[in-house]
Amino acid sequence: MKAKRMSWKKVSNEAKLLLIGIPVFLWTIIPVYHLFLFAISGRDSATSGRLWPKEPTLQNFETVFMQKHYYLNHFWLQLGNSLMIAVAVGVITLFVATTAAFAISRLKVRGGRTVMNMALFTYFIPAAFLAVPMYRTMATYGLLNNRWSLVLAMVTIASPYCIWVLKQASDKLPWELDEAARIDGATPLQLFRLVYVPLMVPSLVAVGTYALLLAWNEYLYGFLLLSKETDLTLAVALGNFLAADDSPWELLMATGLIYALPPAAIYYAFKRYMVGGLTAGAVKS
Amino acid sequence: MASVAFRNIEKAYGKVKVIHGIGFDIHDGEFVVLVGPSGCGKSTLLRMLAGLEEISGGEILIDGKVVNELESKDRDIAMVFQSYALYPHMTVGENMAFSLRLRKADKATTDERVNKAAKILNLDPLLDRYPRELSGGQRQRVAMGRAIVRDPKVFLFDEPLSNLDAKLRVAMRAEIKALHQRLKTTTVYVTHDQIEAMTMADRIVVMHDGIIEQIGTPLELFDRPANLFVAQFIGSPSMNVVQGTLRSAGGSAHVDALGAQWPAPVGGRDGLAVHYGIRPTDIALAADGQGIAARVIVVEPTGAETELLLQIGESSGQEGQFVVVTHGRTNVQPDDTVHLRVEARHAHVFDAGTGKRVA
Repeated sequence: MKAKRMSWKKVSNEAKLLLIGIPVFLWTIIPVYHLFLFAISGRDSATSGRLWPKEPTLQNFETVFMQKHYYLNHFWLQLGNSLMIAVAVGVITLFVATTAAFAISRLKVRGGRTVMNMALFTYFIPAAFLAVPMYRTMATYGLLNNRWSLVLAMVTIASPYCIWVLKQASDKLPWELDEAARIDGATPLQLFRLVYVPLMVPSLVAVGTYALLLAWNEYLYGFLLLSKETDLTLAVALGNFLAADDSPWELLMATGLIYALPPAAIYYAFKRYMVGGLTAGAVKS
Repeated sequence: MASVAFRNIEKAYGKVKVIHGIGFDIHDGEFVVLVGPSGCGKSTLLRMLAGLEEISGGEILIDGKVVNELESKDRDIAMVFQSYALYPHMTVGENMAFSLRLRKADKATTDERVNKAAKILNLDPLLDRYPRELSGGQRQRVAMGRAIVRDPKVFLFDEPLSNLDAKLRVAMRAEIKALHQRLKTTTVYVTHDQIEAMTMADRIVVMHDGIIEQIGTPLELFDRPANLFVAQFIGSPSMNVVQGTLRSAGGSAHVDALGAQWPAPVGGRDGLAVHYGIRPTDIALAADGQGIAARVIVVEPTGAETELLLQIGESSGQEGQFVVVTHGRTNVQPDDTVHLRVEARHAHVFDAGTGKRVA
């Protein structure tokens, strides 16, 4: 009898979850489905309003990969730019944020918290407002039209949040580990390399992925700071599709689909690192 | 191996002073236990010796050398933490070898020393495991192994057994003591548990509110506590203490308390307000009609001995409760009246004003 009641409860719980889950799923998936639909439709049938094209085709992808359209003349180069910039932003942000969080949280550097709070304060100002000062700054350093300008700008934008996240995570590491390592003879750098970083891996993966994807998806700063066709990221190049009156929607969507794949791949590749419990067994809690 | 000396050590956090000028010496190879209630400054003192806390005043010497300005790693000490503080991403073997790795010891030396320490602590089958795969007692042994591998001048233990269950605590207590007898390394051990202190120490330092109350061997502290605090802190069950007035005349003395006359050792001025103390094990049950009458409230047999909680002085208007431990078994029942016999040589008398021992 009891078992039956339990299972009823389970069913009703499941039903509630489904009731919420299905609309959320549809809400999320429909735009993606549209993207996919356009990408496999021919030029004329793309806007026909059908749920499945009459003659699905991979022609669009061929056009993209072979760079056989005016807008896609530098597709591979721009994809490479996106990749290079995203990876550089991820790596540099990770380096900046990890060392900063270590100094603030573990070495308790004087004024560290103030620096972090000031950095976080920049988020009160929308990134769009900072674009012009950033443009000026890059101009002053002669970095305009250089891919490094976008890298530096994105590192600046991503770092405060990453420092904050890593600081919160490293505050949770047992303090005794630092003391034990100091007594064992570790210098601050050895402590960082041999104890701190290995224990922070899950947070580092999360933060690095965040910075990388932020740069991968960035449009505004790329649009402002880069202007040569061969320097552009694919995100900005995609935006340029809209410059024409009769945009090739099906090519835009096919390229967009391709552009969305690496983030998905990154997410699945790194998902398994983003787990807690790495410090299990360090101290009795 | 080395001696350790504290010279007028002070510690202050801002304006709050927590340690007020402590000084004592620890001899080479000695096992010294710092004991006291929480907040007495014992852990702070240990952490200053370890170089984990700054020293606000005074000097600490290891082997005759002032170490105030030395980094922890240059003091040649090893410490075992209450929380074990094992590196969770390293195996037992790597944990133990970590300090040698930092000192760039060659592999043969490292392996030899890790294996030797593992053998001493019965850790050899666990060397490839991670800390999360070990039980509490095993983790504690790894923490000790990590200290042994260093072969330091001084071992520091900061409440290492507090996280273990009662049975394991007793076993580890013996293990640590055996380890010390084998290695003969100077050891400073902090605990709040007076039984741990009594069973393990060569000498005990009793601390309270940032000062030393008394230093001595376990039995010295037990037999002749220097003041009321030590008297009540050391010993389990703790000493019975009552307030009274010292009466001293013609080569004999007693204390008037709870409407009875309690035999006391000679010493102190007649009429002095005192605390009279007597350990539960130093009270004997007398034949009916002799000694001091008391009503039994609770009888707690533990097998080897029986603990009685007694009410004394009900007729006099000054009541007090006493604990008496008798060897073997008794057929005493609650609400029975028993009579207590106390010998003057077992009694402790403390000045009620200063708490200092009078006799």
